[in-house]
Amino acid sequence: MREVSVTVTNGLGLHARAAVKLVKLSQRFRSEILLTRDDLGLTADAKSILSVLQLAVTRGVVVRISISGDDEPDAADALRELFLTGFGEKDL
Amino acid sequence: MGKVGGVIISHGQVGKELQVAAEALVGELSFVTAVSIGWHDDVELARGEIERAIQRVDSGRGVLLLTDMFGGTPTNIAAMFLRVNEVEVVTGVNLPMVVKLATANEEVSLHDLAKEIESQGKESILRAGTLLEPRRMTKDA
Repeated sequence: MREVSVTVTNGLGLHARAAVKLVKLSQRFRSEILLTRDDLGLTADAKSILSVLQLAVTRGVVVRISISGDDEPDAADALRELFLTGFGEKDL
Repeated sequence: MGKVGGVIISHGQVGKELQVAAEALVGELSFVTAVSIGWHDDVELARGEIERAIQRVDSGRGVLLLTDMFGGTPTNIAAMFLRVNEVEVVTGVNLPMVVKLATANEEVSLHDLAKEIESQGKESILRAGTLLEPRRMTKDA
């Protein structure tokens, strides 16, 4: 398993449109991908839009991404990149 | 095997707009449609519209009717179509319920999906403050 911790930097956080990007990207990988908010003790399935939205991730929140499967390295790189670029949104 | 079909039945255009919003999130939904029932619509006409909508989205896996409010006319008409393993009705439709229907896997039965969507709808109603500002809410949460 691989773990990456990222901070959400875009102004709107993991709102619906950003969550859709995250879910679509996650679904391209065979690995199981979980998102955890250690501050609230909540975990979500990164391949389910409804699960991701219920994490209530706002700007500044740290999310731990746990990836398990044979394409872990590629998934980790792609997801880290998506978070680092703020889901392609302006930093409001 | 296709997916379980869905018809969102509401007072006014609420159902259509829920479908549009869900499609913006997850892409086009060929197996979901909406029926709007106006305040003054004739019950027999509305019933015919729902019947045709069910036929449009039915691929043999059954059809789930999502209605806006228990006790309202859309629900009462929808309930006329209840048939075990063919048509189920879940009331109080909200956007997460439509998204759940849209993203359901193909193996799930109509009966199980109806139960999952009922749960999803209830779980999706949250007092946002308890999640968004947990520290401030601890006093009276």
